[in-house]
Amino acid sequence: MEDLVLYAVDYARSIGATYAEARYHRNSSRSIVSNNGLILGVGSGAVEGIGIRVVAGGALGFSATNRLERSSIKNAVDKAIAQARNTSRLMKYPIELAESKLGRAKYFVLEAKRFDSLSFEEKAGFHSDLWKAISRSICEAKANTLFIEYTESFEEKVVANSDGAFIESRVPRISLFYNLVITHPQKGSIQRWEMLGASGGLEWLDKWGLINKLEEDAKTYEKILLTAIEPPKNAVDLVIGSEIVGLMVHESCGHPSEADRILGREAAQAGKSFIKKGMVGERIGNENATVIDDPSIPGSYGFYLYDDEGVPAKPRYLYKEGVISEHLHNRWTARIYGVESNAAARSMDYKSEPIVRMANTYLKSGNYRFEELIEDIELGIYMKSYMEWNIDDERWSQRYVGLEAYLIERGEIKGFVRNPALEITTGGFYNNIDAVGREVKFYAGTCGKGEPPQGVPVWFGGPDVRLRNVRLGVSIT
Amino acid sequence: MNEELLRISEDLVKRASVEGFNESAALSISTRRTMLKVANSEPSVIQHWNSLSVIIYLAKDKRIIIMEFYPRDESEIYKSMADLLKVAAKIMESPLYAPLPEPIEVKPLDGLVDKEIVERLEEPSALAEVAIEAAHRENIDSMAGTIDLWYREKALSTSSGASLYEDSTGFQTYLRAFAEPSGSGQWSTCSTRLDLRSIEETALTAAKYAVESRYREKVEVGRYDVIMSPMVFGNLLELTMHMASAFNVLMGLSMFMNKKPGDKVASDKLRVFDEPRNTELPRATSFDDEGVPTYNKAVIDGGIFKTLLHNSKTASKMSATTTGNAGWISPAPWNITVNRGDYSLDEMISEVKRGILVTNNWYTRLQNYVEGVFSTVSRDAVFLIENGKISKSIEKIRIADRLPSILNNIEALGKNVYNIMWWEVTIPSKLPYILIKDVNVTKPTL
Repeated sequence: MEDLVLYAVDYARSIGATYAEARYHRNSSRSIVSNNGLILGVGSGAVEGIGIRVVAGGALGFSATNRLERSSIKNAVDKAIAQARNTSRLMKYPIELAESKLGRAKYFVLEAKRFDSLSFEEKAGFHSDLWKAISRSICEAKANTLFIEYTESFEEKVVANSDGAFIESRVPRISLFYNLVITHPQKGSIQRWEMLGASGGLEWLDKWGLINKLEEDAKTYEKILLTAIEPPKNAVDLVIGSEIVGLMVHESCGHPSEADRILGREAAQAGKSFIKKGMVGERIGNENATVIDDPSIPGSYGFYLYDDEGVPAKPRYLYKEGVISEHLHNRWTARIYGVESNAAARSMDYKSEPIVRMANTYLKSGNYRFEELIEDIELGIYMKSYMEWNIDDERWSQRYVGLEAYLIERGEIKGFVRNPALEITTGGFYNNIDAVGREVKFYAGTCGKGEPPQGVPVWFGGPDVRLRNVRLGVSIT
Repeated sequence: MNEELLRISEDLVKRASVEGFNESAALSISTRRTMLKVANSEPSVIQHWNSLSVIIYLAKDKRIIIMEFYPRDESEIYKSMADLLKVAAKIMESPLYAPLPEPIEVKPLDGLVDKEIVERLEEPSALAEVAIEAAHRENIDSMAGTIDLWYREKALSTSSGASLYEDSTGFQTYLRAFAEPSGSGQWSTCSTRLDLRSIEETALTAAKYAVESRYREKVEVGRYDVIMSPMVFGNLLELTMHMASAFNVLMGLSMFMNKKPGDKVASDKLRVFDEPRNTELPRATSFDDEGVPTYNKAVIDGGIFKTLLHNSKTASKMSATTTGNAGWISPAPWNITVNRGDYSLDEMISEVKRGILVTNNWYTRLQNYVEGVFSTVSRDAVFLIENGKISKSIEKIRIADRLPSILNNIEALGKNVYNIMWWEVTIPSKLPYILIKDVNVTKPTL
């Protein structure tokens, strides 16, 4: 594919593009889908083609084709340049890119345990084993549904641009999504979704230990369904589990720190940001609020070493000890800000333009053991996991509804509370982190942004944290 | 392209038979699409796609395999087929399996292709100009949005004998306007046929709401009567209609798990339809992915649940009949419509003593699909209604409630209906403003 990619760049430059970039991008996958241990079907596919981006007449054009011969590539380049030129008369500010140190490199992530080291029968049997584990763990209620989608995939890219970048990469990924519904004739139902994902191979199945995990989880959900009480109405101390903390920093630090969002480029879709241009250096939280986004974490679901503009990846300190420190940039936003790109340009597949994205976002760890977080709490809640969540389009007002959530009394974990709702502003969260746990855990997700929508793999994570004196929101119990 | 696309599908079905599969279907889709995105009242990017995708259904001794490719060439698909035949031998029979249906005569739909859309694929910038100009007739600061045009061909071949082709065009436009301090409005439109007037009206509505929602004030949490715009109810209704997919019922992702046709699920004022043969709406089609002729149908009629959406597999599993909504695995709605009511928006507002008008929302998520427990966040203009009149623009709110309650508490429907399609309403929908009694409204406590 190298020759087609380089041809696209050279041809675009030869007919007047001031910048040209071509990306061969192949996403191939195989999945096994089951319901209650029975295999519904097997999925297999490959999305493969070349995406071309040009600047012409000061406007940005993108075209994509999966007809991989020179004539189709030429047509795609012609189209991107012609349509960019046609829109240039409506441009107020021409598109320009920041100077960047661009890579010329190849990197390949290896599966420590190859996908083909387990037979297909063993993988199908794993679905059945998970269902059996859940079924045997529940006594009084009934495991109604366990839907599982297990996927092995490879993402392969060749990226080149007219400023000299040339990056070839290959990343394998593994993911498992499940939906569990447990019902009881009098108590109703409880539902848990979870997604697990990482870059690498089958070694992650060993690390996740899903059979034991789901067996224990199902017991817990049954207890919640049967015994959970309404959460307290008065203000309580709140311990937020790492799963929710991870989501909170993704939603209320990562997204609002995307410089294209701040500049209004996604205003009609994913929205704007409470962070405005010029707010770097302003305080958003207390000294416990340090949030990092790092694409280079080995094994992470959002792993990459160079972004889709060829810029080398590095950790980005978005909030540092409570201060807005750095945004996520591609080369276009970096130019407007007068900074260097920090390699946040990602695209989902060949059909997608590279836009500013997170990779692996997490809250920095502190010094507390879990026991220390709860030991002096007189009355509190520990929210360990969630189902419902959302945040407004400027990333300020957010809500998380606990699924596995416990009452804390006099420093001890007691019984379960049902659907406690944390409804809080971004400032309210980062200014009130009172204590931070010492262990960072990561969780997988598919982050959505762009038009057409692009879902890209990310991790989000953090330690458990404590907030004091929080009045919970209205629960629908 | 007609014959070439059909040949691709037919060749794949023949090849599947040669490889040893008992049944197969191939759906080839050729797409030309242009999308012009606008931000800060200028183009941010123009995107163009020219792609061929192929989706293949394979069955071997009641084992099911789905392949999806944007193929470099057919040889890769053939190689995968051979590999997957070996896989099929290793898995158990699918509990979803049912034979592909025998072909039934499909009555084609006329009027699905608009030549003007095909022409505008090459040069859509004038449409963006219309949108930008119209929005700025109001006193706004900036606007953003998307003009999206496509020409799509699909060719279906099945081993049971279906051989079908259809082409269609479509467009969607959604626009958002901003007016300081803190005002914003958003609106959308869609159709199979290009309509400059509808783009202009979309821009004007977004701009009007932006200007009217400036100077937002705080509002107390609690229970309100809420008027949902077609953008908002369209979002909740799309979720509801996905829950009406029989597959989602089987997979535990539906509040209709414990419902059956004839059960009351909504206010008797509500009628909701799946309308694949409504040629105004962009997902109109004469046949589904199994080659079954589509037909328009009520899903909720007078508040009564009429039917789940089925393909032949879910129908077989649930002792029902296919509704022409395949999806080989999961049935899905084609186009969603809601009946008209008797009220103008002003008349509806005049009925409300203490309420809220929500013009747009996003990020709807559920705590529990089976029970329909959800919340969603407003964006853009939100207005407080007191004693039958809009009293002020208010800050963003969150609706946290149960979908069954929302559907049952519908009090009035507007007499004007709007074509809606955007980021948060991906199935084309035609529906009015809707008044819902006693809705739980929340906001942050810290």
